[in-house]
Amino acid sequence: MLTIDLHRCLADFNIDVQVECQHLATAIYGPSGSGKTSLLNMVAGLLRPDHGRIELDGEVLYDTTAAIYCPPESRRLGYVFQQDWLFPHLSIYDNLRFGYNLLSKKMRRFEPSQICDLLEIGSIQHRRPDTLSGGERQRVALGRALLSSPRMLLMDEPLASLDQGLKSRIMPYLRHICSEFGIPILYVSHSVAEILELTGQAIVLDRGQVVAQGDLFHIASDPRVLHLIDEFGFENVLTVEMLPEEGSDNTRLARCGQQVLRVPYCSRPAGEKLFVGVRAEDVILSLKKPEGMSVRNALQGKVTDIRVVEETRLVYVDVGCRLAVKVTPEAVSELGLVSGKDVFCLVKTHSLRLGPGID
Amino acid sequence: MLTSDDWVVLELSLRVALVCVFLTLPLAVALGWLLARHDFPGKLLVDGICHLPLVLPPVVTGYLLLLLFGRHGLFGPILEKFDLSLAFDWKGAALASAVVGFPLVLRAVRLAIENVEPRMESVARTLGAGPLRVFFTVTLRLAAPGLWVGALLSFARSLGEFGATITFVANIEGKTRTIPTAIYTYLNQPGGEDSALRLVWISIGVSLAALLASEWASRRAARG
Repeated sequence: MLTIDLHRCLADFNIDVQVECQHLATAIYGPSGSGKTSLLNMVAGLLRPDHGRIELDGEVLYDTTAAIYCPPESRRLGYVFQQDWLFPHLSIYDNLRFGYNLLSKKMRRFEPSQICDLLEIGSIQHRRPDTLSGGERQRVALGRALLSSPRMLLMDEPLASLDQGLKSRIMPYLRHICSEFGIPILYVSHSVAEILELTGQAIVLDRGQVVAQGDLFHIASDPRVLHLIDEFGFENVLTVEMLPEEGSDNTRLARCGQQVLRVPYCSRPAGEKLFVGVRAEDVILSLKKPEGMSVRNALQGKVTDIRVVEETRLVYVDVGCRLAVKVTPEAVSELGLVSGKDVFCLVKTHSLRLGPGID
Repeated sequence: MLTSDDWVVLELSLRVALVCVFLTLPLAVALGWLLARHDFPGKLLVDGICHLPLVLPPVVTGYLLLLLFGRHGLFGPILEKFDLSLAFDWKGAALASAVVGFPLVLRAVRLAIENVEPRMESVARTLGAGPLRVFFTVTLRLAAPGLWVGALLSFARSLGEFGATITFVANIEGKTRTIPTAIYTYLNQPGGEDSALRLVWISIGVSLAALLASEWASRRAARG
């Protein structure tokens, strides 16, 4: 368990954070410039807080009142940055073993061969960093951090520089590291969709202050969090319960409140509850149940609220839970959308992103 | 063909230049790192003093060295206690060219260290390497091409050093007569042009060899 109580003055705001991370994976969410990276740097020991205390699994890493300062090389925290920062003068082989070689035999938790197999980077070990693709580089950076046998992984938007296809290929590795090896992850991101693929636990940061903490599904309806999410395109988070497999290899059915959603195929058992993310701009509003359209899901509901967000409108629809839909002002007037109006929310199956299970 | 006198001059010049490199490079690395990575009061002044030999006439530098390290200079008695004589000795010639060449080396080394991404060092720290190990295996290693350039500049400046050398250690045959002062001497003798020309060719050869060697080492270091 990681306990953080940190204060630090930055150029344009102060960081003032008191949190406990008990879960295996915790996300730190917030807009750019909210102090996420500074917070991570303080945990890693790369940035000194003005005062405060950091405790990991009972060991005090930093405490101003007791004058304890554990330098970054002794904290044994693996740090994966947004850029991979592979050592350009070393081969992939030597990059991977940089931290590993500094450990005594009994401190080593993983063997290079094991990590190479897991991350599928065994065949590129003789190469130099500048000859690798972005995805390969980020996997090597992750492997290098893991081989230093960290007690916790700190990840600062590690997928931000990768395209969507590569992102979804690296996420399974992270989930595996978390669940199989039991290494806790502190994951900084400003994408709700990305966070949901890893965890439902989040700390929301704005201008250095914690505005919400806990289950992303619950805190996402907090107005202070909503306000932050709106700036980046609203991401709806629904909870669904998987229904039994029905023979199709392409899709699954899941219950969402009283209604049924067709979601992309996954091997989750029936009855498991999980988060599903869908962007507000990926939902279409219709006054009638559509016919002759490819869209698979039509959730029936009532408009509860319409909010003005700059040039667009966010229409909140109660479909058993609250769903935000981004539409143009013209659509609002043409459809005559007002509170209490019956509408259908159309969602393509492949606009639905399956998130982690709910414990 | 080279005469035995030429060989003496060449050997002395190379010895002075190599010692000069070994004197300046470690100091330039230490100071370059300090200036590149740290802010401290009086930084501008330290920077200015280090660059002074670049703008001072070399004769002035040589005379200042004489005032400081000459037999009757400020540190003369201390040097005598250690039985170390710098004035009118090849060691003094090495010191003179080291002082004159230092700003050039410092600039090259400082720039090379500044160009090493500090986050590369942070990554190494989080992987378990202490500050000293990070300095030698990451910072210096990545700055290596710049260090080779610095070494070449120091070597070349030393081979060409004239003003400070002749002021501080004079022009004594077999003791302080390096290539430039030897050429100067020959040109002042009637019929010395042939000897001077031989040394000119030697000078070109050594400088070109040093340039190529440094370029090769620098590229090798950059490749890793």
